[in-house]
This record gives sequence, structure tokens and C-alpha cells, in this order.
Amino acid sequence: MRLFFELFKRAFQRALTYRAASIAGLMTNFFFGLLRAAVIMALYGSRTDVSGISIQDAITFTGITQAILSFLNIFGSYDVMNSVSSGEIATDLLKPYSYFAFWMARDFGNAINQLLLRGLPLILTYAVFFHITLPNTLAQWLALAVALMLAWAVSFSWRFLVNLSAFWSPEARGIGRLAFGLTMFLSGFMMPLRFFPDWFVALCNLTPFPSIINTVIEVYLGVLGGPELIRALLSQAFWLVLLFVICQLVMRAGVRKLVIQGG
Amino acid sequence: MRHTLDIYRRLILVQIRSQLQYRVSFLLDTLATGFQVFISFITLALILQRFDGIGGWTLSEVAFLYGMVEVAFGTMDMLFSGFDPANFGRQVRQGAFDQLLLRPISATLQVFGSQFIIRRVGRIAQGLAVLTFAIVSLNLNWTPAKLVYLPIVIASLVCFFGGLFMIGATITFWTVDSIEVINIFTYGGSEMMSYPMHIYPDWVRRFFTYILPAIFLNYAPALYFLGKPDPLGLPPFAAFLAPVAGIATLLAALAFWQYGMRHYQSTGT
Repeated sequence: MRLFFELFKRAFQRALTYRAASIAGLMTNFFFGLLRAAVIMALYGSRTDVSGISIQDAITFTGITQAILSFLNIFGSYDVMNSVSSGEIATDLLKPYSYFAFWMARDFGNAINQLLLRGLPLILTYAVFFHITLPNTLAQWLALAVALMLAWAVSFSWRFLVNLSAFWSPEARGIGRLAFGLTMFLSGFMMPLRFFPDWFVALCNLTPFPSIINTVIEVYLGVLGGPELIRALLSQAFWLVLLFVICQLVMRAGVRKLVIQGG
Repeated sequence: MRHTLDIYRRLILVQIRSQLQYRVSFLLDTLATGFQVFISFITLALILQRFDGIGGWTLSEVAFLYGMVEVAFGTMDMLFSGFDPANFGRQVRQGAFDQLLLRPISATLQVFGSQFIIRRVGRIAQGLAVLTFAIVSLNLNWTPAKLVYLPIVIASLVCFFGGLFMIGATITFWTVDSIEVINIFTYGGSEMMSYPMHIYPDWVRRFFTYILPAIFLNYAPALYFLGKPDPLGLPPFAAFLAPVAGIATLLAALAFWQYGMRHYQSTGT
């Protein structure tokens, strides 16, 4: 646990060092948010409510997704892949702690940093430009915190699993790009899942992806009633456990197969 | 000139050969490159069942804008990948650009030939698919003028996006690292141009009219091709300004690039 904390601190400090880059990133996220909000407004036209989502909620949706996209690494991460192809993994595997936990701690440090230094200011900027929805009870805020943490853990496990493909393929980036494209498509990142046809939503619900974005959005907007909310959080936990187990199994098979190129 | 072209051809051939070494990975990469952009269009198609259209435009009409932008951006991203700010920024930081300056051929040419990412054909192909869908489903009143002007608009878009990449690359001479803000103009610009311009807030549209002439490269020509009325009140000849805007952007970018090279100071690494 202490180790986890230390790795987390390092990652946090590293990200703090590049403040100019953080501000630039914030501006970029905000601009894309503006474009997406304009598209939402053009879609709504004179309507005020579509599938139980008000226009204000829908605009808030664009803000939230822009705010948490780097917290959740929606565009994917290739760190583990890179360390396999560079051979760095050989020394990492020798270290006396779980390889999964090692990357998880680093990812968590980055994620929290992105949430506080990028997500928070972005939402505040949004609040200046738009009238946004906020969770209005303490219970809702707590549920949001739980949903966010679970979403990050599911996202991390999924990304870790995709990265493990590097054990088998020397050029796993293509696999990664496809996999992360799928994440964007099926998670409800592009548009709230409620806007999609029912068959498509049913399809998405067979995958872990809605647990990464859509659950967070619906918890934030408060569109889930009590039992629905519990079910959504449990479903996130289910996918987390499942992905964690698969990661461990694949990891074990992969390490046995791994060949470190000299150099 | 022939010598220059010959060198460019050789530089590109090296790139192509190396990228085709791992065939499976190349195919996967190509597929993935198309897929990532495709999903944003599919998303729009899926959710439009719950909406009437977007700012008065139908799916097919938006597909026209979207297809044009994707074909052009994909082509540009292949030809100009050497100037991709993220990639070029790394060259500057690591001092690889210094090496180019030592060689007895134009550095601009070398940067041009330094990257040629073939997997972008994935993006071009899906752009063509969307554009074909638009053209087939729209029943445009084709005239000889429109037939001639369509490829000209695409070529102008390629010049325009290429210019943006060159400007982004030039900025990294000073910032050393690639700054994410440039993405606002390159990726943000192309994303924005995939939708009708009248849906955006005035200040955004003004910026992409007067500072960057984006509106003349996609929206204005699209109004002409689709025969739609113009809610913004642009002059009628605005539809035909695409080549002017495209070439002007590229020339301005080239001038800025030359200026940047004259003032370039190595990082010393």
C-alpha cells in the first residue's frame, strides 16, 4: 500500500511539472467541448427533452465527457506495450511486487492528477459559458465518487488487457487502436447511450464499455432511480472483477511466452 | 525540379517499404485508422433516429461535408505526415532536425519525405465511403461545372489542412515540444468543418472565416453542391473561393515555415 502511494505521488509530481502543457490541454478539451455542445444544440433544435435528457443535461454531458476523458484515458494508453517492446519489462518483472499493481498505481497517480488539474477547471469553465446541471444531494455526490473510481478501474483493467497483446504481437498498436476505438464507440462517450436505438444499447450492455463512461454520466445527471443506481454500480464492479481475473490469467500466459530481445 | 522529385520519390519509397514489412500489423493499423473516424459518423447516423436532423440538415447532407473533410484530411495526413506537429516536435526536441540541416538538399523537402503514413488510406477509404453514400442518396443536380469543381475543392482542402500542419510544425521551433493547442486548429478544425457552420457560436465562426478561411473550403462550396439556401448571407461567389483560400493558407504556411527555419536554434541535444 505504501508502495502504491509512493508510485502514485511520483506520477502526480511528474504531471505537475508540465503546467504549460496542462493549460494547453485544458484549452483543447474546452474547444472540443464547445463544438460538441454546438452539435447537441443543433440536434435538439426547439426540443427541450429527448429520451429523458434535457438540453441542459445534454450540454452538461459534453462538459463531463471532456472533463473525464483524460482521467479515464479514453483515447487509450500504450505504456505497457512500449515497455514490452523496449525490453524494460524485464527489470519491472524482477521487482518484488505485482506487475498489475505497479502499473495501476502509476495510472492512478496520472488519473487523479488529470481529474483535479484538468477535469475540475474544465467543468468550472463550462459553468461560466453554459448553464450546467450539478448533482444536488450528498448521496448523489457520493454515488458519483464511487462510479468515477469504478469507471477508472474498469478503464485501467481494459487498457492493461489490451496492452498485454504486445506479449504475442511485436506490433500491437493496431490492435490497441481498434480496441480503444471500440471503447469510444460503445461507452457512450460520443453521445449519451439513451440517444441510441434500443438494440444498440442492449449490445453495448453486453460489454464493459458503458461502465467506463455512460454510468458516470447517468449517475452525475441523476437520471437513475435508487435500485437502478445500485444495479449500475454493481454492474461496474462486476466488469472490474471479470477484467481483473482475465488480466491475471492472460498475464500469466504472457510471461511464460515472453521473449526479451537483448540490448 | 526533376532532381527534387527524384529525391522525394526515393525518400517515400523507403517509407513505404519499411511500413509494409509487417503485413498483418499494417492491415490492422489501416483498419483501425479508418474505424476511429468512422464511429463518429455511425454515431450520428444512429442517434438521428431520435432527432429530426441537425440544424436543418439531413444525415446525407452532413455526410457530404463529413466525407469531403475526411477524404481531404486523410490525404493530407499521409502527404504531410512529416509536418505533423506531434511528430515534428519530437524531431526538434531530440535534435533529429539538425541532421537534416547538414545535408545538401532542402530541409523542407526532407521533412516532406521523412514520413509517409500509408495506413491513412484507411481514413481516406472511409471518407470516400461516406462521400459516396452522400452523393448517391442526395440526387445532386450534377452540372459539368460541379463535376470539375468537386475535385478542386478536395485538393484545396488538402492544401488548407497541409498549411495548418506546417504552421503547427513551425511553432514547435520555438516551443520545442509539440503543444496540444495546435490540435484545436488541425483536428478541431476538421471536426468543426464536418458539420454545417451555421450551428456554431458567432465568435467561433468568425474566427474560422476571417482568421482561418475554413468556411470557404467546405461549408460555402457544400451550399453550392447541395443547392441549399445560405442562412449566413455570404456573397454568392464565396462558394468558389475554395482554391484561393486553400492555396493562400498553404503559401502563408510556407512563408512562416521559412521564417521559422531562419530563426531556428537547436536544443543542443
